[in-house]
Amino acid sequence: MPSDRREIAVDYLARVEGEGAMYLKIDGDEVTDLQFNIFEPPRFYEAFLRGRYFGEAPDITARICGICPVAYQTSAVNAMENAAGMFIGGQIRELRRLLYFGEWIESHTLHVYMLHAPDFLRYPSAIEMAADLPDVVGNALRLKKLGNTIMTVVGGREIHPINVRVGGFYRAPTKPELQALVEELEWALETAVATVSLVAGFDFPDFDREHEFVALHHPDEYAITDGRIVSSSGLDIDPTEWPDHFEETHVEWSNALHANIKGGGGYYVGPMARFALNGEQLSPSALAAASSVGLVPGVTNPFKSIVVRAVEIVHACETSLKIIEAYEPPDPPFLTVEPRSATGHGASEAPRGLLYHRYEIDESEIIVDAQIVPPTSQNQRSIEEDLRKYVTGRTHLDDETLQWQLEQAIRNYDPCISCATHFLDLTVDRTDPQR
Amino acid sequence: MRRLIGIGNPDRGDDAAGWEVAGRVTSWDVSRLTAGSLSLIDLWQDDDEVIIVDAMKSGAPVGTVVRIDAICDRLPHGAFSSTHAFGPAAVVELARTMARLPRSLIVYGIEAGQVEHGTPMTAAVATAVDQLALELQDA
Repeated sequence: MPSDRREIAVDYLARVEGEGAMYLKIDGDEVTDLQFNIFEPPRFYEAFLRGRYFGEAPDITARICGICPVAYQTSAVNAMENAAGMFIGGQIRELRRLLYFGEWIESHTLHVYMLHAPDFLRYPSAIEMAADLPDVVGNALRLKKLGNTIMTVVGGREIHPINVRVGGFYRAPTKPELQALVEELEWALETAVATVSLVAGFDFPDFDREHEFVALHHPDEYAITDGRIVSSSGLDIDPTEWPDHFEETHVEWSNALHANIKGGGGYYVGPMARFALNGEQLSPSALAAASSVGLVPGVTNPFKSIVVRAVEIVHACETSLKIIEAYEPPDPPFLTVEPRSATGHGASEAPRGLLYHRYEIDESEIIVDAQIVPPTSQNQRSIEEDLRKYVTGRTHLDDETLQWQLEQAIRNYDPCISCATHFLDLTVDRTDPQR
Repeated sequence: MRRLIGIGNPDRGDDAAGWEVAGRVTSWDVSRLTAGSLSLIDLWQDDDEVIIVDAMKSGAPVGTVVRIDAICDRLPHGAFSSTHAFGPAAVVELARTMARLPRSLIVYGIEAGQVEHGTPMTAAVATAVDQLALELQDA
């Protein structure tokens, strides 16, 4: 039945960070082959961390990503402090949260408005969308700029911050420096609430799939900088136990390792997972915004991740205001950390989801082994499972429509392929010439 | 106000071309970016006259320098690509749509050969960097 077989191939996925592709082979109504193909070359960060001084890890790993460097820095410092048997709280931790919220605002705004919204509004890109909706895109640029400004004030610069060190910060910002952010954060909070209403009004494909959600959980707050690793099926572990419950495997079509739950399968990290597992801990305005559009924890349609991201922007703005209100500069701005002959584990919630680091450090405080598991690596299998299920029942669609929707389904995950390589082309292959 | 913006990753061979040029010119306000991100629009918001220097992949011989008046002409998207979701060509076109371009925007592209991580700059690109830096210093 060769006329029932077709292929859809996207050789270079647009509106994702990094370089990747997708290949799909369809036989009748069945998907016979599907590959989310990350071909961006591997970057060997884990290899060249070996032999480096432990204190260099936050600066080295920050270079992995221009969108989420704070996530890399935070997981790295968590791991080093864990290796030294330390946990750092107080105002240093509050500054880390504020810096991280700056990254969430910057990254989520980029994805919600500039990368994902065009999918729902049927624009080829944000450029064409800006011609019709200049105020919307103007707000997006202003929100993103605020995120970058927070990163500059707390982290020293907006990309690859330089003020983060193991134990805290090189310099604590002054109260007036943080107070100067308040007026723009108040505007941002109002704009973010309006964004939730805007994106919740999009048309969402009728698609649900039960996912195994995995995220950090903190008893007192919507986890971002630290916490225990929990899942929708009841996993509840300290990050030090990650190697006992998760594993990375290589598949021939991807330069990024796939992460799986041992004895289980793929899982889903990111805003959808955080909302499912911790949604009731969102800030009051974020909870109200979610409730106003009927979004409740447990939503299983990954296309609604754009609404969850918008809710998280509300949370980030409101919580940032609270942190600034209570801020007292930590003095000193860091604590001395001396990990020796130890292994440390650290995890935090990158905009795209759980980011796990593990370092083995020798008696000379030199890194002898490193493992970095980015969120996009962990989501690969879930992305492929979403695509496989999405195609089933939609094989009647023409190639152009199917390809558009499948790319949109990939962007549900806001994949950062540069991070994972440790990238994207889409091929849907079917031999039926009618389609 | 006039600003020269060099874009490039100093760790990726010829991709460092724009970064290097910007590092040598002292007669302009200079900014160096590792990626042509949306921040460009904020960066030039107070400037009248802006020059961007970036590596390009157009198929021309390695080291070829092209000059594009971006106020008059669109940037060829494929030439000024990026591993990031918003490359410099997309940012310039977004700014054009939103009427947020500076009064003058000249983009210099230097044709790159190797851009892999850890590779050195090729001789032809190094020569082009030297010549363009001298030219812009006196501009």
